[in-house]
Amino acid sequence: MENNAEWEPKIVAIVCNWCTYAGADLAGISRIQYPPNARIIRVPCTGRINPFFVVKALQEGADGVLVSGCHPGECHYISGNLSARRKFAMLKSFLNYIGIESDRALFTWVSASEGERFAKVIKGATEKVRALGPAQKLVKKI
Amino acid sequence: MESILRKTAKELLEGKKVDVVVGYTQGSVPLTMSPVFITNPDDAERLVFNALCSQNLAKYVHDVISQNRAAQKRLKPEERKKKVVGVVARGCTTRSLVLNLQEKQYTRDEIFIIGVPCAGYVDQKKLSAAVGGTEILDGSLTGGKVTVKTPAGEKSLVLAELLADNCLVCAYNNPIISDITIGEPAKPMNSANEFKKVEDFAALPLEERWSYFAKEMEKCIRCCACRNICPSCYCPECFAEQSMPQWVGVGADATDTQVFQLMRLFHMAGRCVDCGSCVSVCPMGVDLRMFLKKLDKDALDLFDARTGINEKDLPAFSVFKEREKNEEFLFEP
Ligand code: SF4
Ligand code: SF4
Ligand code: FES
Repeated sequence: MENNAEWEPKIVAIVCNWCTYAGADLAGISRIQYPPNARIIRVPCTGRINPFFVVKALQEGADGVLVSGCHPGECHYISGNLSARRKFAMLKSFLNYIGIESDRALFTWVSASEGERFAKVIKGATEKVRALGPAQKLVKKI
Repeated sequence: MESILRKTAKELLEGKKVDVVVGYTQGSVPLTMSPVFITNPDDAERLVFNALCSQNLAKYVHDVISQNRAAQKRLKPEERKKKVVGVVARGCTTRSLVLNLQEKQYTRDEIFIIGVPCAGYVDQKKLSAAVGGTEILDGSLTGGKVTVKTPAGEKSLVLAELLADNCLVCAYNNPIISDITIGEPAKPMNSANEFKKVEDFAALPLEERWSYFAKEMEKCIRCCACRNICPSCYCPECFAEQSMPQWVGVGADATDTQVFQLMRLFHMAGRCVDCGSCVSVCPMGVDLRMFLKKLDKDALDLFDARTGINEKDLPAFSVFKEREKNEEFLFEP
């Protein structure tokens, strides 16, 4: 894994069921190509995402974590993404403060109709994490 | 001031206005004060309040109330009795009480706040350093001076130089809410440079920040004293001990300690009152405040939220808006 020539970024994408997951589906149905680096975890809503998920994923060996849900105002549960936005704004800033590259934790919105955007997000995230190289900090060596 | 405090506590207990008064009393080690629970009006004599009182007593208020609730779980609701807890509270303690009230841990009628002004407390680590780490045999506090007796002789120290870091920049040293206040309001501390340390740290290169974090967390022995003393940490079951899922490994792995700390610290986002209790109980001298203060600053910068300074507000993460002023952190491919 540490061998850079063969190393491929591993990204954990935690996405909400109602928008981003459906967006990913649309990207698939429309046969849009995007890098295979993201492992998708489907949750009911971004409000369900405990900031610990992000930290834990980084500890267990993810090179980057992407969180994505419905655009503000479009959350299936009305306000899940609005409170999530507050948590993640602070989490991102805090991770950066303690010295973890801020591109390792990415937050965005992708709606169910944005298959194109989903592919772009995965591509963009993969590029950003690739530029950082393999994660070294907080990673548990087992 | 102490005589009024004792008299007030005595009257409250005699008049059955409160069931218990949580306050400070002389500790068993010289130059320390420890928390005390007074239920007998005659014991009110034991109460003290001075610059050696360091712990945030809001923790014990929560403990008494929740234990009282748990003990009555099997009674019919109409037979349950509330306990009224009186508490000697300075600025940071009242902020914690406000936070507990905002988070609906108890109701306002379950607590009786005896507000006291605060001019800062002595950081025991600074005190110990000032006497070169030698044993303190005896000591006293008079005016702005601390007299310390060590095996090497007597030494007189300046109180102002021994105050804890959080006290030096405290912006809320007088009670935010109270039922009774004792003494004159304290003079403001120098809070203009409150976030200076955080700003300086944030300006360091990323790798230096990480090595500082890693170095500090290396010291941590995960005794959980910081969590146990914190008035904002009151979950009956902490993530640190959960086994399904197991968030934190139990071994000596450095990343487990980092993750434990990172998560405990992040739980304080918009909830830390900077009382310094965790810093003062840490046996290993971990610089927790460097990180906690950042969360304080972010909550203020991003959401204009400050923990427990207003009963009507809510903590940063209990509020949300359609539009926030900071959305630049979002990733745009
Ligand atoms: S984290 Fe420390 S300083 Fe903050 S409220 Fe808890 S004990 Fe006080
Ligand atoms: S009190 Fe200090 S040593 Fe104990 S868990 Fe907290 S930071 Fe670690
Ligand atoms: S349902 Fe998609 S973010 Fe809440």
